[in-house]
Amino acid sequence: MNSGQRANVDTHRLRFNAMGCPCEITLEHTDELCAQRAALAARAEVERLDAKYSHYRDDNLLAEIIVAAASADGASVDDETADLLDFAAALHAQSGGRFDITAGALTKLWDLQAGRVPADAEVAAALARTGWQRVRWNRPQLHFSTPGMRLDLGGVVKEYAADRAAQRCRDQGVAHGVVDLGGDLAVVGKHADGTAWRAGIKAARAHDPHETPGAFASIELSHGGLATSGDYERAMIVDGRRYSHIIDPRSGQPLESFASVSVLGESCLVAGAASTIGMLLGPREGYAWLQQLGLPFLCVGADGAISGTLAAADRT
Amino acid sequence: MSTQRSLSPSLAALLGAAAALGQAHAQSAAESDSHVGYRFNEYGEDSFHGDAIGSRERYEVYSQQFQLDTRVGSGALDVNATHEVMSGSSPWYVIPGPDNRPIQVLSGATIKEHRNELRAAYTLAPGTSSSTTFSASYSNERDYRATAVGAEHSFPLSNSLTLGAGGSFSHDIIEPTDAELYQRVLHEEKNTASVFGSLAWVLDKASVLQAGVQLNHENGYLSDPYKLVSVGSDILPDHRPGERTEAALLVRYRHAFDRPAAALHLDYRYAQDSWGVVAHTFDAAWYQRFGAGWQLVPGVRYYTQQAARFYAPFYAGGEHDFQSSDFRLGTFGAFSASLNLRKRIARWEISAGIERYHASADYAAFRGSDSAVPGVLSYTRGFIGVDYNFN
Repeated sequence: MNSGQRANVDTHRLRFNAMGCPCEITLEHTDELCAQRAALAARAEVERLDAKYSHYRDDNLLAEIIVAAASADGASVDDETADLLDFAAALHAQSGGRFDITAGALTKLWDLQAGRVPADAEVAAALARTGWQRVRWNRPQLHFSTPGMRLDLGGVVKEYAADRAAQRCRDQGVAHGVVDLGGDLAVVGKHADGTAWRAGIKAARAHDPHETPGAFASIELSHGGLATSGDYERAMIVDGRRYSHIIDPRSGQPLESFASVSVLGESCLVAGAASTIGMLLGPREGYAWLQQLGLPFLCVGADGAISGTLAAADRT
Repeated sequence: MSTQRSLSPSLAALLGAAAALGQAHAQSAAESDSHVGYRFNEYGEDSFHGDAIGSRERYEVYSQQFQLDTRVGSGALDVNATHEVMSGSSPWYVIPGPDNRPIQVLSGATIKEHRNELRAAYTLAPGTSSSTTFSASYSNERDYRATAVGAEHSFPLSNSLTLGAGGSFSHDIIEPTDAELYQRVLHEEKNTASVFGSLAWVLDKASVLQAGVQLNHENGYLSDPYKLVSVGSDILPDHRPGERTEAALLVRYRHAFDRPAAALHLDYRYAQDSWGVVAHTFDAAWYQRFGAGWQLVPGVRYYTQQAARFYAPFYAGGEHDFQSSDFRLGTFGAFSASLNLRKRIARWEISAGIERYHASADYAAFRGSDSAVPGVLSYTRGFIGVDYNFN
């Protein structure tokens, strides 16, 4: 049945910056205008979520919720935020308390720009303002029992946004494409010719912190999402010692883990949750957890060693 | 990545937690893409050339269309409003001239008539292969009101096959003007029910074949209240059966080309009805895209039909079950050629088009009917339009 002719499909790309990372939407469609409309709608969705949940801003909904949650009455949140909080609560439970959206004070303390290791007293003070267990969450009411707590939904919003953006493209009648938000991917649909998308996994720094990361492995994905958690992008070296930006919210200390964990899932949201928890649980516990989870995954160790069920995937 | 095998408890927990988020927050995504369009159409019939009596003022229609597509909830709403102004004379009845040559009698030019129509359609899961559309329309003019509702659903049978099915129902009310003056009917009604089914088959990356069948059944007053028929020395009202069933077969083929960036559309329709009318329609169009948002679409069409069993330009005296000299029930053929142009400029789209339609008894593919169709007409139609896409 194949005429041998290539489909009259145009590839339409839209690049932009959102959620603190470079984003790219790639769509294939016979109608350029349709692809353009879909890409713009998808970008608008990403920007909406970025504006709503960015923790770098103090004029958005998240900031309002934080202020209100600290008040005596607490905050009443909208449905979408409530769903995100429910999801975050489930991740907190699944990760034995390591995935914690209230770790904002700790993350800020270990701010990588500072270039210094915080004092124990500072860590203790931040720890006192951290912990999902200090939050009373009775949907839709959110209440902080300790003053000065922060919320950071960055660990789920980007993946959620990727899925939402891909859905917007499908809603607009685009069946082939992929949404890439800084390495977190959500598939709109396979290539127009029916083949899967190939995604590059960025290499870790391994032993040399100055080594430029490049793509070292490629993974095929035909639907769902691919998410990567890693600390190769942000880490700090003080007195020759490397401090990961992954902070254990229970001890307040950076934890040694993989250089990166990538997971394929039915959605980018699920893939992202799995890769983040795998990362937070560390090399031994995390690996075992990912194995029993059952989703295809790829781990890059701090020493550059590759493992996981996707390790056999062909390398570039 | 299959979730069909047994899930680990942790994955089940993750998927369960993600499921709530997977449900689109439709209200938060309400700022979605929409489209508005305006179109101005002009339709003008050629002046009558044959042997005729009466006003020869050509029949013209000017129409304006407004269109709005937008998201409502998780579906797509499409609203269409049309206003038409019609004027001119039209074929009335035919009388036998010397040697029985038909002479067309034309009605006096009408004053300007207006028609308004509102149509709305709501599609669930738009743009997917499993969509459902509900539609409703209402049309109103001085002597005619039509109300219609419809629904259709498509669902995928496999990766390359999509089945579509639907139906519609229309109820029309006819209240002719000057009824008492011309002894026309005062109030009549007509119902039309349609069902259709189609199968779309993706042949390969570049081509799709679609085949469909449609059944239409009309009952009620199906005559034309304004047309008359010459029977012997009498002039009597147009009189057709009170029921009509039509079956149609449709085949569509689409092929996309990479170089040049174009698409070929080929359509064929066969229809046959219980009055004996058999019709073939062939359509071909070439959608050529150029750089900078230009698109040019030349198209040709051939139509031919065989007359209804009871059609005649005029009748000998005596009793007849049915009688109509409406040329639309005669044997004829028609060629038409069209050219449409579109240009996209950012969020705007400008379009214009022209169509020339020429009909004649000589173009008919059917023979065996020597009944003349003196009223058959030709026309020219043009449009200009502008569309705007917004969020």
